Amino acid sequence: MSKENWILLLFILLLLCIPLTESRFYVFLGTDILIFGLFAVSLNLLLGYTGLVSFGHATYFGIGAYTCALLMKKASVPFPLAFAAAGALGGISALVIGFFCVRLTKVYFAMLTLAFSQIVWAMAFKWNSLTGGDNGFVGVPFPQFLDSKVRFYYFTLGVVAGSLFLLRKVVNSPFGRILTTIRENPERTEFIGIHVKLFQLIAFMISGVFAAIAGALFGIFNHSVFPDILFWPASAEVLIMTLLGGIYNFFGPVVGAAVLLFVRMQVTSYTEHWPVILGFTLAFLLFFFPGGIMGFLQARFARPGGNR
Amino acid sequence: MPDPSFLLLQSLNGLTYAMFLFLIASGLSLIFGILGILNFAHGSLYMLGAYFTQQFVSLFVDAPGQFWWAVLFASLTVAALGAVIERFFLRHLYAREELYQLLFTYALVLILADFAKIIWGTGQFSVSRPALLKGAVPILDQFFPTYNLVIIFLGPCIAFTFWFTLLRTRWGRKIRAAALDREMLSSLGVHVNRLFTVVFFIGAWLAGLGGALVSPVSAIVPGMDVEVIINAFIVVVIGGLGSFWGTFLGSLIVGQVYALGILVFPRLSLAFIYVLMALVLIIRPWGLLGRPLQR
Amino acid sequence: MRRSLMFWMVLSLVTLAFFSPQTADAQKKPILVGFPMILSGGGALFGKPSSVGAEMFVKEINAKGGILGRPIELIVRDCGNTPEEATRVAREIILKEKVDFLVGGLTASQGLALSEVAKTEKVLYIAPISKSTAMTDPDKLHPYVFRAAANTNTEGRSAAVFMAKHPWTKIATLGPDYEYGQMVTKAFVEWMKKNKPQVQIVHQGWPKLGETDYTPFIAPLLAAKPDAAFLSLWGGHFVTFAKQAKPYGFFEKVKVVAAGEGGSPETGMSLKDDLPLGITTNAYDVFYYPDTPEHKSYVERLKAYTKQEYPPSWAITGYIAVQFLAEAIKKANSTDTMKVIKALEGLTINTPIGKQTMRAKDHQATRGQVWGTTAKVPEYPFPILRPVEYIPADDLMD
Repeated sequence: MSKENWILLLFILLLLCIPLTESRFYVFLGTDILIFGLFAVSLNLLLGYTGLVSFGHATYFGIGAYTCALLMKKASVPFPLAFAAAGALGGISALVIGFFCVRLTKVYFAMLTLAFSQIVWAMAFKWNSLTGGDNGFVGVPFPQFLDSKVRFYYFTLGVVAGSLFLLRKVVNSPFGRILTTIRENPERTEFIGIHVKLFQLIAFMISGVFAAIAGALFGIFNHSVFPDILFWPASAEVLIMTLLGGIYNFFGPVVGAAVLLFVRMQVTSYTEHWPVILGFTLAFLLFFFPGGIMGFLQARFARPGGNR
Repeated sequence: MPDPSFLLLQSLNGLTYAMFLFLIASGLSLIFGILGILNFAHGSLYMLGAYFTQQFVSLFVDAPGQFWWAVLFASLTVAALGAVIERFFLRHLYAREELYQLLFTYALVLILADFAKIIWGTGQFSVSRPALLKGAVPILDQFFPTYNLVIIFLGPCIAFTFWFTLLRTRWGRKIRAAALDREMLSSLGVHVNRLFTVVFFIGAWLAGLGGALVSPVSAIVPGMDVEVIINAFIVVVIGGLGSFWGTFLGSLIVGQVYALGILVFPRLSLAFIYVLMALVLIIRPWGLLGRPLQR
Repeated sequence: MRRSLMFWMVLSLVTLAFFSPQTADAQKKPILVGFPMILSGGGALFGKPSSVGAEMFVKEINAKGGILGRPIELIVRDCGNTPEEATRVAREIILKEKVDFLVGGLTASQGLALSEVAKTEKVLYIAPISKSTAMTDPDKLHPYVFRAAANTNTEGRSAAVFMAKHPWTKIATLGPDYEYGQMVTKAFVEWMKKNKPQVQIVHQGWPKLGETDYTPFIAPLLAAKPDAAFLSLWGGHFVTFAKQAKPYGFFEKVKVVAAGEGGSPETGMSLKDDLPLGITTNAYDVFYYPDTPEHKSYVERLKAYTKQEYPPSWAITGYIAVQFLAEAIKKANSTDTMKVIKALEGLTINTPIGKQTMRAKDHQATRGQVWGTTAKVPEYPFPILRPVEYIPADDLMD
């Protein structure tokens, strides 16, 4: 087994042991990091692997959260069904929105993803009867067989690990390789006969599904769903997490999510000026560490001919 | 049938709002058109324009023309800040992908917002209208604030000045050339870097001016930066990123949709603007008056 | 090499922070009270003074030896302007700082969000400001949530009481289109319809919360030709509106009764000459009324603490909320959550603005409001409320 896989195994063991510390806080933090880690990795499928800058990824996270929570709370749909519906709806909306977005490139692509995300936000914000409007809604129940924080943590760990496993398979497959080729040079890829837009759309859809899964987990974890998770700064936040961890590494975004969530928690307990610190950190990152944390670590410890 | 004087009044309100949007959106469009950067921090520059105006007004207490001097100084301060940001930071990111530039301007939003909070606190500020323009003008059987009327006239004046500069003067020609092919221009001996700083200076000046002029009619509060930047984005997308008259048209459209939309869709007007933006991006992504580009 | 150095330095700092010892107090273990409040963005204008009021109370009580011999430690955190952020911050301070009690939140939706957090984490929560009745409605009420502020019923109905005193029959409303605006306007309209049925609501305007341009709402309202208008734009939003409406002669054409603390000294100081005179509005607290010794003492202390000549009115919200908590702990003689809840129900305390009781049946305080008419006075460089009175809540609550 490669060195990388050993490290991975170690981490999984570590994560499995967290509830043993009997600390409600670490279970909370762990669940939070896992959820946002998945969210960030789903974004990175578009960003790092396909080269598409989406400024509206929070849309699918939000759709996943609202769908699962609403179905469970208002329609008393059993959890497995609601959960699956969340992922499905995330994928379908990504398909529809993506269809329009992949026709554009660069800044225009980003702006259209932003426009759609604001439309979905406005709908959630105003549709009082369905979504609870600007109040959002509270009281999202734990699923029946997962009615404790610790159980839910293990469930989240399982779902996220499984999702990451699947996503890993996707990026290492021929499909994934084509995505990277598209990222490097879309025109040339088109030239060798690949229908670039179709591949981009499929990547968009897949990332939407997993973002929605992360969102569904979040709605339950938070016991409430608010339209703020759809508002554009939420999309900016997950972009920052992804960049911080490293967009050219599969696990980079998970590292980024962990570091951002953790550092924010620590910093906000000392000062109310977290935004300026985040701003400087982000700027610092952009100038000196474009590869993020994992990018830096890999460069430092790279083996000759190192792999991903 | 709502009475015509009321519709006219509502329309004029939309026009006023459009002019403020135009000031900030034109700067945004200029920076994008020439430098290729979508500046998220443009709303922050607008906000700083308002804060600085408030500061200068309290500094120039009782001076004649107090308000207008404050507007001048405030907008120039913001312009200088913009130039500094471009010269020392943004310039180093031109070679990188758009994502880095975009996220850097977002980092600026965070930093500038917190700086404003550190310097001026969380309180709300307010600036009075200049004494001459405090009243209202009778229009049909309603009243319309004089100050707003002045803004409506100022908008096209500034528009025309810029259009003229860009089209007719040597500076303008250089700037337009730089947008098309900076390498060629550079090899012809033009200091492209300096040109870019000037462009950013002007763009920032416009944003600061917008903020300065809006200070008597709006609250100067934290959060006004985020509020305005999305609307500015919508304007430039509808009008066409980089197109000058497109921005003007876009502002007019957004202003009127906003004002009249409230009458027609009182509680949906929020989503309406975003839908419009999405429609334009879908049907005609380069905007109404933009240059059709390779998509 | 330099980049590596930077990286390792940052990494070590982060790791050190991770392993920083939790403050284990060798002396008396303090009572930890989490205080998430809006300290940035649009709501900070009021969140900050509210937290200042709470801090002052805590400082004073600790100087007297604390509660049950233990000092109170107020853990103030910026909860942002959204319910999502408030939820996150509240859960963090409950789980990480292990606070014993929670006081905070500003907007109605934050109140509802924090109420949910209190319910799931089983922590006592007192809302100092959130007015929405939804929090204490039978279907949302649970043992852990209390409200120290007035609610939208009290506010809407007091405004209606004032409105009904005059012969105006055509009334318009203008309120922010979110929970608070909707509920307070609803309370106003329902009371009017019940007690003065000849009144007609000729127009209702709903700008979004935090609207910066109210002018498109002014013209339609004026076009409906109302005699009077009920406004529920609060704090800074009212300031913006007043500035924009003035040149239209709005306040001369339409008589205004405004909920949302337009009578706060902060608003008067902000608007100065632009504050419309002769309108009826309210405030949480005004430093010039009531003339009781407790209130005067409070104002003097607040002046000294904030070093402001005209201290903020929102400070009282944080002050009273924490005061309720402190007195309940004292009465319960314990910091056990269930015991404090029992003690809090039905508790009457002496606040700087008079006696307040926390009703047992719906965990709502009998908090009235200060109402008055704006007027220019020689004593102060900005307009204040004169005449001014305190309208108690008792008859107006369900």
